[in-house]
Amino acid sequence: MADSPLISVRDLTKTFRSFQRREGLWGGIVNLVLREYREVHAVERIGFSIERGEMVGYIGPNGAGKSTTIKMLTGILVPSGGEIVSNGFVPWRQRTNYVRTIGVVFGQRTQLWWDIAVIESLKLLRRIYDVSERDFAERMETFDEILGIRDYLNTPVRKLSLGERMRCDLAAALLHNPPLLFLDEPTIGLDVVAKDHIRRFLRAINQRYQTTILLTTHDLDDIEELCRRIMIIDHGQLLYNGPLAMLKQKLLRTKQVKFALRDQTQLPGLSALQRDGLKLERVDGLTYRILFDRSRISTADLVRQILGLAEVHDLLIEDEPIEEIIKRIYAGEALEKASV
Amino acid sequence: MSLRNIGIVYRKELMDSLRDRRTLISMVVVPILIMPLLTIGLGVLAVDIAGKAKQQIPEVMILGGADSPQLMAQLTALKDIEIVPSRPDYADEISNKQIRAAVEIPPGFDAAVQSGQPVTVKIDNYQGDLNSGFATDTLRKALRDYRDATVSRRLESRGLPVTLITPFDIKDQNVAPPEKVTGAEIGGLIPYIVILLCMTGAMYPAIDLTAGEKERGTMETILSSPVSRLHLVLGKFLMVLTASLATAALAVTSMGVSFGIGRRMLMSMASGSDSGAMQLTITFKSVLAVFGMVVPLAVLFSAALLAISLHAKSYKEAQSYISPLIPIIIIPAVVSLLPGVELNAHLALIPVLNTSLVSKEIITGTYHWKLIVLIFASSCAYAAIALGIAVKLFQREDVLFRT
Repeated sequence: MADSPLISVRDLTKTFRSFQRREGLWGGIVNLVLREYREVHAVERIGFSIERGEMVGYIGPNGAGKSTTIKMLTGILVPSGGEIVSNGFVPWRQRTNYVRTIGVVFGQRTQLWWDIAVIESLKLLRRIYDVSERDFAERMETFDEILGIRDYLNTPVRKLSLGERMRCDLAAALLHNPPLLFLDEPTIGLDVVAKDHIRRFLRAINQRYQTTILLTTHDLDDIEELCRRIMIIDHGQLLYNGPLAMLKQKLLRTKQVKFALRDQTQLPGLSALQRDGLKLERVDGLTYRILFDRSRISTADLVRQILGLAEVHDLLIEDEPIEEIIKRIYAGEALEKASV
Repeated sequence: MSLRNIGIVYRKELMDSLRDRRTLISMVVVPILIMPLLTIGLGVLAVDIAGKAKQQIPEVMILGGADSPQLMAQLTALKDIEIVPSRPDYADEISNKQIRAAVEIPPGFDAAVQSGQPVTVKIDNYQGDLNSGFATDTLRKALRDYRDATVSRRLESRGLPVTLITPFDIKDQNVAPPEKVTGAEIGGLIPYIVILLCMTGAMYPAIDLTAGEKERGTMETILSSPVSRLHLVLGKFLMVLTASLATAALAVTSMGVSFGIGRRMLMSMASGSDSGAMQLTITFKSVLAVFGMVVPLAVLFSAALLAISLHAKSYKEAQSYISPLIPIIIIPAVVSLLPGVELNAHLALIPVLNTSLVSKEIITGTYHWKLIVLIFASSCAYAAIALGIAVKLFQREDVLFRT
C-alpha cells in the first residue's frame, strides 16, 4: 500500500444530459412539448495519480470540468465511466466512510451554516465526524495558532468577511484531521493579504501533517507558490499533467526585456531594432519593453543591441508570465498530453 | 438507519430555521394572529353589521291607500319605518337601495275588508338584501297584526271565542347542544384554517432547506459530509414537519383562547338583542381530535413540499412551483364547507377533503369511528408515498444538481 498512489484515476468520464432549448417564441412553445437533449461530456476519459503528501494544482478555464472532477473525487457525483480509488475507497460506493478521511472546501460555498455562529457549526461537524472532545479542543488550538480564528468563532457566518469565512471553512474541513484535502477555488475573491494567509496555512499543514492537497484555482500565483505539479484540463480533457517547471521549460518561448531610457532623445536610435522584426512597446513614461522569441535571438544579443543603440539607465529581463502560457494552452496551442 | 445522524441534521436545521425570520413569521406569528382576527374580528363585524342594519330606519313607500284611512293609520303609526312620498319608479328605487320596500294597497281596501271581500296587499322588496328584509318584516308584522285585530273584532262581534281561529300556538326551540350549533355554523371553517396553516407553516422551511440550500451553495458541502442522503432527507423532513405541526398547534391553541374570549365579548355585545345564535362553543377534546387528524396531512404536505422544492434551483423558482399548490389545497377544503357535502366512504379517500370533512364532524361532537379510521389510514398512506418520493429524489443527481 505504501508505494501505491493515494489517488488513482483511470478513464474517468462524466456525461450530463443537457436540455436543448429552441430559439424564439415558437421554439419556446415547441420546447414545452418536444424536449431535445444533448449529451455534454464534462469530463472525458481522464487519468492521473497523486502521491501521499503531494500538493497538486488543477487548473482550467470556466466549465473545463474541474469542479465536476472534484465532485466525483469527493463522492458527490457518480462517474458515468472509469475508475477512482482514493485513499483506498471508491468514493461514490463507500461515500460515508470515505468522506471521513477527506476534507473538502468549496471556495464559493461554505459548509458552515449561514445564520448560526461559527462555533455551533464546528460543534455540529465534530458530532458528524465523531471527533472526541479532546481532539477537538486540541485542533481548535492549532487552527487558532495558524489561522487566528478565535475572534470570530461566535459570529454568524453571514457577518464574516470572505477571508474570515474561508479560514473558518478550512478549519471545518480539517476538523477531523483528514489525510487528503480537496480545495475548489480556495482563494477566489480574496484580497492579497487573505490569499497569503491561506497559502501559508496550506503549506503549514502540508508540511506538518503530510496532508495531500488537490486544489483547483484560477489564480496562478496559488500554483506557483504552492504546487510543484499541475494538471491542466479543458473541454473535459487533461491537456497537461506534470511539473510546473517542465511546463515552463517546454512552453516558455518568449521573454521580455523591460528598460528605461535616460531621456526621450534616445528613442529614435531604437528604430534599428524594429527593422529586425522586434516590436517595441511603450509601458509608461520612458519605460519600454520588447517581447522576443528565445529561439530566434539570445537574451545576451538583444541586451547588447539595446545598450549599443540607446542610453539606458535601468533594464530588467523577465520570463513570460505563467498566465500567458496558460492562455496559449487554452487557446489550443499544441501540447502533448504528457504524464510524468 | 442511524437515528443519531438524523438527529444531527434535524438539530442543525432547527437551529438554522429558528434564526430565519420568514420561517418564524409563517410558523408563529401568522397562526397566533389569524385565529383571534378570524373569530373575534369576524364575529364582532357580523354582530356590528346586523346591529347597524337594525338601527337604521328603512324608508318605505305606500302606493295607493288614499281611500283606506284605517290601514293608512296603522302603517303611518309604525315607528320602525319611515314613510316617504310615493313615486312611480319605486321598483327601481328598491333595486338601487334608495328605499327599502313599498306597500301596494289596492283601491277600496278598507271597504273590501268591511264587506268581507278577498283582497291582497303586496309588499315590494329586494330579496336577499338585509335592510329590505328588515323593512319587509316590519311591514308584514304590522299587516298581520292588523289582520289579526280585524279577525278578533269580527269574532267578538259575533260572540265567538278567539281560540276558534287560533286553536294552538307554535314555538320553535333549539335542542342541539351548543357545540353542535357552533359546529354547524362555523365548524367547517376551523379545520380549513388549520389545514391551510399546516401547509403555509411547512412551505418556507421546505423551500429554505432544499432550494435555499442550493442557492446558498451549501448543498454540495452537506452532501460531502459523512451523513448519508437518507439521513439528510429524513432530518430535513422532520424539521419541515415540526414547522408544519407547530404552526397548526399554535393555530389550534390560539383558536381555543380566542373562542374563550370571543364568546364572552360577543355575548356582551349581542346581549339584549335576539342573537342567541352567536353562541360559540368548542370542546378541548374535539380540538385535540382535529389536531390528531391533521398530523398525517402535515406529513403529506411536508414531504410533498420538500420533494417539489428540491427540483428548484433557487428560492424564487421554488415559490413559483409551490404557489399553484395553494388552490389545490384550498379547493377541497372549500368544498367541505359547501352545504350538503356529507362525509362518505368515497370522499374519505380524497386527501385534504376527507380530513376537512371529518374535522367538521368532530367539531360538532360527532365521531364516525369507521370513517375516522379509514381517513387516518388513507392519509397515512398518501403521506408515506410522498415521503418515499422525497427520499428517492434525494438520491437523484439530476435533481440535486439540476443545471
